Amino acid sequence: MGVTAPAPAARLTAITKRYGAVVACDDVHLDLRAGEIHGILGENGAGKSTLMKILIGLVQPDAGTIHLHGDEHTIHDPQTAADLGIGMVHQHFSLVDALTVWENVLLGDNARLDRRRARVQVADIADRYGLAIDPDANVGELSAGLRQRVELIKCLRRDPRIVILDEPTSVLTPAESEQLFTTLREGVASHGKAVALVSHKLAEVLHATDIVTIMRQGRVVDEHVTSSTTATSLAKAMVGRDVSLRASAAALGATDVLEATLEAEADQADVTLDDRPVVLALDAVTARRRDVVVLDELSITVRAGEIVGVAGVEGNGQRELGDLLSSLLTTDGGTVTVTGATVRAGRAGAMAAAGIAVIPEDRHDSGCVLDMTVAENLVLDNPERVARLRFLDRGRLREKAIAMMREFDIQAAGPDAPMRSLSGGNQQRVVLARELSHDPKVLVAAQPTRGLDVGAIEYMTRRIREAAERGLGVLLISTELEEILDLADRIVVMSRGRVIGELARHEATTERLGLLMGGVSVA
Amino acid sequence: MIAVVANALSDVLASEAMYNSMIRFAIILAFAAVGEWVAERAGTLNISIESMLIAGAYTAAVAFDRTDNIAFALLCGTVAGFVVSLLQANLSHRLSTDQFVVGLTLNLFVLGLALFLDSQWKAVTSVAKPTRVPLLADIPLVGEALFGQPWPMYLIVPVVPLAWWLLFRTRWGLELRSVGDNPQAADVSGIPVNRRRRQAIGFAGICAGLGGGVLVLGQISISGYETGHVGLKGIIAIAAVIFGGWTLRGTLAGCLVFGYFFALQQSLPVLGHRINSQLAAALPYVVALTVTAVFAARTRQPRALAQPFVRGLT
Amino acid sequence: MLRDRRTITLVAMYVASVAAALALSALLIALTGGPWHKVLSALLDGAFRKKGRWGDTLAGSAPLLIVSLGAILATRSGLVNIGQEGQVAVGAAMAAFVTSRHSGPVALLAALLAGFAGGAMWAGIAALLKYWRKVPEVITTLLLVFIASQGTGYLLTRTFLLLDPDPNKPNRVQTSAQVDSSTRLGVIRIFGNEFPLTVPVALILAIALGIVLARSTWGFRLKMLGLNPRTAQRAGVSVVRTGAIALMASGALAGFAGAMMLTGGAANHRYTPGFANNVGWEGLLVALVARNRPMVCVPIALVFGALRTGSGFLAATGVERSIVDVVRALLVLALLVPPAIAAIQRRRTQPTPATTTALSTMVPA
Repeated sequence: MGVTAPAPAARLTAITKRYGAVVACDDVHLDLRAGEIHGILGENGAGKSTLMKILIGLVQPDAGTIHLHGDEHTIHDPQTAADLGIGMVHQHFSLVDALTVWENVLLGDNARLDRRRARVQVADIADRYGLAIDPDANVGELSAGLRQRVELIKCLRRDPRIVILDEPTSVLTPAESEQLFTTLREGVASHGKAVALVSHKLAEVLHATDIVTIMRQGRVVDEHVTSSTTATSLAKAMVGRDVSLRASAAALGATDVLEATLEAEADQADVTLDDRPVVLALDAVTARRRDVVVLDELSITVRAGEIVGVAGVEGNGQRELGDLLSSLLTTDGGTVTVTGATVRAGRAGAMAAAGIAVIPEDRHDSGCVLDMTVAENLVLDNPERVARLRFLDRGRLREKAIAMMREFDIQAAGPDAPMRSLSGGNQQRVVLARELSHDPKVLVAAQPTRGLDVGAIEYMTRRIREAAERGLGVLLISTELEEILDLADRIVVMSRGRVIGELARHEATTERLGLLMGGVSVA
Repeated sequence: MIAVVANALSDVLASEAMYNSMIRFAIILAFAAVGEWVAERAGTLNISIESMLIAGAYTAAVAFDRTDNIAFALLCGTVAGFVVSLLQANLSHRLSTDQFVVGLTLNLFVLGLALFLDSQWKAVTSVAKPTRVPLLADIPLVGEALFGQPWPMYLIVPVVPLAWWLLFRTRWGLELRSVGDNPQAADVSGIPVNRRRRQAIGFAGICAGLGGGVLVLGQISISGYETGHVGLKGIIAIAAVIFGGWTLRGTLAGCLVFGYFFALQQSLPVLGHRINSQLAAALPYVVALTVTAVFAARTRQPRALAQPFVRGLT
Repeated sequence: MLRDRRTITLVAMYVASVAAALALSALLIALTGGPWHKVLSALLDGAFRKKGRWGDTLAGSAPLLIVSLGAILATRSGLVNIGQEGQVAVGAAMAAFVTSRHSGPVALLAALLAGFAGGAMWAGIAALLKYWRKVPEVITTLLLVFIASQGTGYLLTRTFLLLDPDPNKPNRVQTSAQVDSSTRLGVIRIFGNEFPLTVPVALILAIALGIVLARSTWGFRLKMLGLNPRTAQRAGVSVVRTGAIALMASGALAGFAGAMMLTGGAANHRYTPGFANNVGWEGLLVALVARNRPMVCVPIALVFGALRTGSGFLAATGVERSIVDVVRALLVLALLVPPAIAAIQRRRTQPTPATTTALSTMVPA
């Protein structure tokens, strides 16, 4: 950072964005420089995504300016951003399954459609950056790693000067992540591009970036050269208070700390749970969706008081496993038994009635009804509890709701507040409160902490532990290895809809899990 | 009984008039169906395609009545269809009103309007003359049907490849398809989702408006606009798209199938078979119902079909 | 404060768009040479002012109300039933089937039940195709309208089905036999006006449905299904079963309305071709305008009923009565716009946008 340094590739000055009373970005300053990988670290809801959406033109700021290479610009939409040399690799939702690779790569451009040239271009970029891919493949049939490769090619094809990556590793195996970072370092940054790496994982930022900006509650709280900082100081800046890295390791994505803890534990004898009764058993369950086998002779057992972690790269049947246990998927074969009794798959409410509580992967999809009130959401599965002669008793509903809100510390304007008005963490608590309210035998938690801030993550983690201590069998489905390593007593790894490996807690390391997740069975 | 049916069928297969009227019905359906196909590939489902047909038919009839110029009248019909599609597009994909509510209301509105205006300005068109392609039209059985139609009917010939080319060979089409399959992805890629959908509906309006015009100006047996001519052909066109599994070829095949049953209903009495007129009239619709039931579940529809897009919603 | 300003803007938008619709209607009438104030006056005469007319208006509004209540049931569960016109026809035809063979109070009850069953059956076809074959109900209910009108038309061509065998029947029109006077619905007479029992029945239904939807656990589940079918399925509401029941109940109410029309005096107590006479379509529009609130349907149905009876007096003004259809549809379009604009404004100021319910509901694979 000499005095003669050229103007930064991007300079964001005093950016502010409000949504009603919520300030998503508050007077944010940020410089991205050519040839540098710039980490933007923060909890969920810290404002880093909003900031990047402003830079890419998806969100308009209320105040502030953006300078690119010294010139001020207003970025109305993603098209403008692309024309100005800003490209983004999105976490989700930016590839169209029904199109081929080259069609996807061309999407959002405005030149004439030329199939031959497009394919040559894709091959060129693949060569230059070391990202091999078949341009005629259907994107819907690619693995997560390859899909992200397509994303990256799509972004690089327009030869952007600034590349933004939003939580790029959430869908990758550790090995694939490592490869991505190498590409970023050797291919992208070395071509003189400015790279912004948005992440909430400490380890990743420490490992892959040159410089790091930490955001909290919409503000930039700190900026460091990465090599001169430590996990502890980053964690403190990110959360805003002293945190025990050990206790919050999973929430912060501090993998190495977590592993050290596990090693220490390994010396102690494992508490054996083998004599506990099996509460949930999946036996050779096979299921299809759109004629594709999504669960392939899947067998998993969960004992009372045990937390079984289901690890795996996203898109390997975890969502379908969650759906199966939410009565949303019918099977072609195999059985699901809860405390010894077989439950019919796909029959409305059958899993819930058998005693399976679920915190779904996407609570908006199958966990709550946003357009109903908090109180109504708390009794969704059994309104009869607050009814007289099949008619709801408003008084009893309120009473019940207030009691549950108190017990689970749900912050809302009142029981009649619309579910939509609650923060993500509080919505999650509503789901949890309802699911635990009638004595379940099994708790299925699918990506239970996704999109939550550290405080909310700690709360969820505690609740899950408590549930297991009370004797529930817990099935924790997560793509976050840290979360699984932190909570699970036993870990099964899913790949292509089947279990390809099982590890006891003390046997598990990121490396071994990573190999399994990549589809390599280890004996 | 079986003998009667077999007898009727063989009569039908040997009837030139039958093929002729089947092709005519199929062409009318195809205008609407090709337009609706494009719109559905962009993720919209427009029951208002019906009102676009009606608007095109009535406007073209009035325009022809006043000017005696077929080309001008067809242009007027096309514009009318386009205007209705603008209403549909802006209400459902700018103001985000439910697209079926808008479609239904538009259907009733345009039907009523055409009925009312028709009572004030009666449009009478002279009967169209067939354009015979020499030699080819003399091919037995199907020659007349394929090469002896009034010229507006042949407008379908450029429309079909045009629609295909637009959808599969232009950037606009690529963007339409992306919008119909994964609007969120299209949005973050910088594609204006709802604008593309409005444009797709606009294209459907142009096609259906033109189809309405051809309906009144290209038929040999009809003169002028009459309520009931359209008679849910727009909805049958939607059924043809479903039948075709959202492919262009399949959609056209669907038009032929439904055209056949419309023709059957017309031809049987002509051929001297006694058939109840009400049951015959219901036949194409019953077939549409049956056929969609067979094909809807099997084929792959655009994933975002009939789902509104609002940015920020996943 | 912000809320108040929003309400004021919303009301202003409603006033503006309704005014625009009316102005457009007036323009249309003027363009075709009619004086708009005479049209208005004739409408009012026909609907209320002339002797005995408001009774007719009430009688005409009641079936609209019943149909609209059915439409609400379907919409609440996330389905789009737009085939009421056919369901009314089938319901009425089934009722006529009973009344042409039997008479007396028991036959009346049976006829009403037949109407109910007929409508349910007709909507049931759409439900079957939706849940068994995944055909969108928007398409099927619409196709079934046409099939119903042709199919019931066929019934009127055969004496062993519905055709009146009486050789002295009026006008040689194909109709069913007149409902015997012992099989007709009771008539209420006040202040020189008369209307059938349909009116109180429709009102009671509206109130009952309002309560059931808002308060009962069944209404609660139906709402859940409509707003989030996957959450509902997980919580024990069968998407298929509850959806099918809602769709069939929706058709049943339309069919019931048809049976009430027949026994209440529509078309001179005879089933005729075109018997439904747009009651299905208009009832559906009532529900749309009332934005699916049963009690709001009551005044809207009355307005629409008034337009129906009023239009009968238009002949004297020289303006075609079909103008009423145009005005009605224009009004409905006008009423759709303000809430949509308001929703967009709300969305702009909120971090989480409002969900628009996807109409193609997910069924477990």
